Amino acid sequence: MRLWLGLFLLGVVLVSALLADTAGSWLGLDPWAPDLFARYAPPSATHPLGTDDLGRDVALRLLHGARVSLAVGVGAALMGAVLGTLAGMLAAWRGGLADAVLMRLADALLALPALPLLIILSALDPAMLGLPRGEAASDVLRVALILAIFGWVGVARLARAAAMSVLAMDFIRAARALGVPEGRLLLRHVLPALLGPVAVATALAVGGAILAESALSFLGLGIAPPAASWGNMLAGAQEAVFQAPLVALWPGLAILLTVLGCNLVADGLRR
Amino acid sequence: MAVRGGAGLLAVLALLAGPATAQPRETLTIGITQYPSTLHPNIENMAAKSYVLGFTRRPLTAYDPNWALVCLQCETLPSIENGLAVREATPDGRPGLRLTYRLREGLKWGDGTPITAEDLLFAWQAGREDATGFGPAEFYRSAYELRVIDPRTIEMRLDRVTFDFASMGDFQPLPAHLERAVWQADPRAYRTRTLYDTAPTNPGLWSGPYRVSGVQPGAGITLARNPAWSGLAPQFREIRIRTVENTTALEAQLLSGQIDMIAGELGLPVEQAAALERRARGRFHVEYRPGLIYEHMDTNLDNPVLADRRVRQALLLATDRARIVAQLFDGRQTVAHGPVNPLDRMADPAIRQYPYDPARAAALLEEAGWRPGPDGIRRNEQGARLVLDLMTTAGNRSREQVQQVVAAMWRQAGIEARIRNEPPRVFFAETLSRRRHQGLAMYAWISAPEAVPRSSLHSDEIPSAARNFSGQNYPGFRNAEMDRLLEALPTTLDAEARRPLWARLQAIYAEELPSLPLWFRQDAHVWPLWLEGVRPTGHLNPTSLWAEEWRSR
Amino acid sequence: MSIPARLLQMLLTLAALSLVFYLLLGLMPGDPIDLALTADPRLTAADAERLRALHGLDRPLWARYLSWAGAVLRGDFGYSRLFARPVLALIGPALLSSLALLGLALGLAVLAGVGLGVLAALRPRLGPAVQGLAALAQAMPGFWLGILLIILFAVTLGWLPAGGAAEGGEPRWPFLVLPVATLAFGHMAAYARHALSAMRGAMADPWIRTARARGASEGRVALRHALPNAAVPLITLLGLDAGSLVSGAVITETLFARPGMGKLIFDAVMGNDYNLALVALLLVAGVTMLGNLAADLGQRALDPRLA
Repeated sequence: MRLWLGLFLLGVVLVSALLADTAGSWLGLDPWAPDLFARYAPPSATHPLGTDDLGRDVALRLLHGARVSLAVGVGAALMGAVLGTLAGMLAAWRGGLADAVLMRLADALLALPALPLLIILSALDPAMLGLPRGEAASDVLRVALILAIFGWVGVARLARAAAMSVLAMDFIRAARALGVPEGRLLLRHVLPALLGPVAVATALAVGGAILAESALSFLGLGIAPPAASWGNMLAGAQEAVFQAPLVALWPGLAILLTVLGCNLVADGLRR
Repeated sequence: MAVRGGAGLLAVLALLAGPATAQPRETLTIGITQYPSTLHPNIENMAAKSYVLGFTRRPLTAYDPNWALVCLQCETLPSIENGLAVREATPDGRPGLRLTYRLREGLKWGDGTPITAEDLLFAWQAGREDATGFGPAEFYRSAYELRVIDPRTIEMRLDRVTFDFASMGDFQPLPAHLERAVWQADPRAYRTRTLYDTAPTNPGLWSGPYRVSGVQPGAGITLARNPAWSGLAPQFREIRIRTVENTTALEAQLLSGQIDMIAGELGLPVEQAAALERRARGRFHVEYRPGLIYEHMDTNLDNPVLADRRVRQALLLATDRARIVAQLFDGRQTVAHGPVNPLDRMADPAIRQYPYDPARAAALLEEAGWRPGPDGIRRNEQGARLVLDLMTTAGNRSREQVQQVVAAMWRQAGIEARIRNEPPRVFFAETLSRRRHQGLAMYAWISAPEAVPRSSLHSDEIPSAARNFSGQNYPGFRNAEMDRLLEALPTTLDAEARRPLWARLQAIYAEELPSLPLWFRQDAHVWPLWLEGVRPTGHLNPTSLWAEEWRSR
Repeated sequence: MSIPARLLQMLLTLAALSLVFYLLLGLMPGDPIDLALTADPRLTAADAERLRALHGLDRPLWARYLSWAGAVLRGDFGYSRLFARPVLALIGPALLSSLALLGLALGLAVLAGVGLGVLAALRPRLGPAVQGLAALAQAMPGFWLGILLIILFAVTLGWLPAGGAAEGGEPRWPFLVLPVATLAFGHMAAYARHALSAMRGAMADPWIRTARARGASEGRVALRHALPNAAVPLITLLGLDAGSLVSGAVITETLFARPGMGKLIFDAVMGNDYNLALVALLLVAGVTMLGNLAADLGQRALDPRLA
């Protein structure tokens, strides 16, 4: 039930993201072209959700924002999942020092307040990561990377626990005695057992990353305009809450429903 | 009205209870968007500090709301005519000046100690010493001698002659009776040990109608009347200055009655103020004051596309600045035709203007070899598309909006603008100052009345590795006549003789367009209807320098 | 691990973190003098060079770190560039203000969350409603809720201040209501969900069934027997929550322009105020780790099996 409701919500977001361009040409509107004579227009037939500070269609920008938010969310969560799975498996497989170091690191990251650190990391120069400055795609990648630095921890802990329980099973010992190479063992037997818990953690992480992106964009450190992300739309709308309070409503609602969808899916998967 | 600035609930109840009693108000709460990092008059300059210090200390000289230089703590402005300024040669034979300043009678620090020439001497000595860490030190390098003539008079020698010699800027008395010992103990540590920051409520530090009575770091500063002030008696018992960085929150606090007024120097953007004026009609007085902040787009003349003057002119002709100002800023910016503000006495009204003219822009681009391409973007003979970077400071919403509108307008003209923004610290520190911008860079200059734009237009001021990237001629503009004008202007003491030089400077600028002028920003001052006597200045000397004239009805 | 060993480990972690933070802050483009240059048109290149040398910014990063660390070990935490005061003098009041906000928000979140969770466990019909509310609260961007609350209570109704802090003799509570509510709402979700599942688990315990069979009332069973059992995982959660509460404080304090550690850290990082940012970050990390430790100890005290 939850799983389906969650999948439905995410499906709507995904379809919106895919349809953003089509919807634009269908409505005959360009979400990037400013129209200075139609700033903060109320909802109407041409602009179902009204227009923003530059007279651009809010509904269309929401659809495009879905792309950015999903890209950041899914990107950060996948990077975190891959990193976390590898770290968890490594810790469980090697044990000893590797395990201790990785898990202490995970503990430390989990204990630290993430946002202040995200603020420092976002203030770093993207050029240092080899990314071009000031371009939307590199913004998305940068934010996703930064979020993944914190995102792998949860996955790693789950993956380690699951991998440990598999590695302690009799058939693994038997396979090792038969001389099955370790790499094959990990790939064939351990990894599949991790997929379940990792999927749950990843679904949660997507929601978490979308929330974090919106918070960063709200503080002016996330995705920069003219690209539309829900976070920066909200930051923009926040400056005009008195003039056009509705403009602040939609992006927040979109974030709320998407994150809700992710959490429901995670919840559903867990059961 | 003890509840003013108090809990919103109480304020609402007070409003419901009917109009406030007729007795004059005792307190005034002002919102600004920045917190002053230090209260020392000479260390680190920022608008918030100038604003607070405007209430609490008076400089020797300042520009008044009519942009005329006046004496605040001195008796008479020195001039060649009144003999207080004398041309003479420096010891190494260069042209120099000898100036005499006499402090007004009866000036006292807040603890009753008279303000004397010793205080000026101390300020000069501290400024001459590099280790003290004063911000701009150009003045102290130039003022090579200062002598105390009598307790109220000093004589000072400058190693250069400039027409604005009488303006003392930040040079002002510092309380030697309190600060000299701190400074002498260790000049290097003075900037962290100064009483202005360690004991800001010491009344002896202050010389204005108000003194600092409380400091809440990051949040606000409270001022009380200064009993030792000898000028016009100020009205308010207490002035509270609150810092709210976010302008929406600032507006919310104004509407809920937590603050009474918003300073124009550091307040709401004009468009927000205009919206507020419409919505809360009759509750506040909003005054727009055109100022000296010059928004423009620097070109990079090393870019072969922009090196062609016709392209630069076409870019400006294709930008409908009047419409942007009308629609985005509620008409509350002054469209600029050059770097000199129309309110400046040296502004030339006959300067060449570039009204929106897409046909003329298209013709110029054709002439320069850029013909329409299949995707609507123009191409040259070699088939290269007309693409230009358009950069600005990320996070500045107003500039980001303008940039997107400009990009759309240029697209109409067949020019593609690639938007690439960087956070201010990267934009200024790494990109502009090293001339790494490839196309256009939108930002603003802050200047003073009749400030000579040498650092941004002289060919000696083009930043380069060889010159350790000093100078602010970011476009890389080289023009021999402009160089000569910039050298002649400061040393021409007669204002009427400067006028033709200024006119020529503006003409070259408008013809060559090293930067594309956008507009001069206006400040939106918001104050309650019961407040009178606020006179916005529009330049670096804040409104608060005349705060003793503020009265409540 | 024993408590002294844990504390030692914490100190080592903090020392390592100080190096990481220092390097990250130092790698941010631009330095304090660059920021000053943009604010003051009269500052010349010569001035900039002089000021850089004066502030020691012309030295390599590692040398600056070593002299900073040396000064800290001697008890000198340096001066804040932004506020021109000793760092420690700034941190004291900010920490108190943040602790008031976080303490109240956490208290409210736990009370409301556990209350809702227990209610849902006792009245299964209310379960879906509570779960729905918790799911909403968890997915809600905190600053959005803050904006909505400001629009409603500060702008439209004018009941509460939109931000800031009490000055002089003003009552403090009106300034706390909206920030506390904003912060508490999101955190309530986790407590409600955990309380609900823990209570359900505990109520199904054979031991509870015995109590019930003895004729104890349902409410008494829940409060006297099931709740203490359910408290153990809640305390773990409390420890883990410390970090995310601090993150929430950054947003809440910035949105409501409320002085505190979160806003201090944000301002310091954005203003290149290395001394202040470092000490504030380390302090917050230390407090968070202490929170974790306290949660661990509390857990052991409550659950003899872990001791």
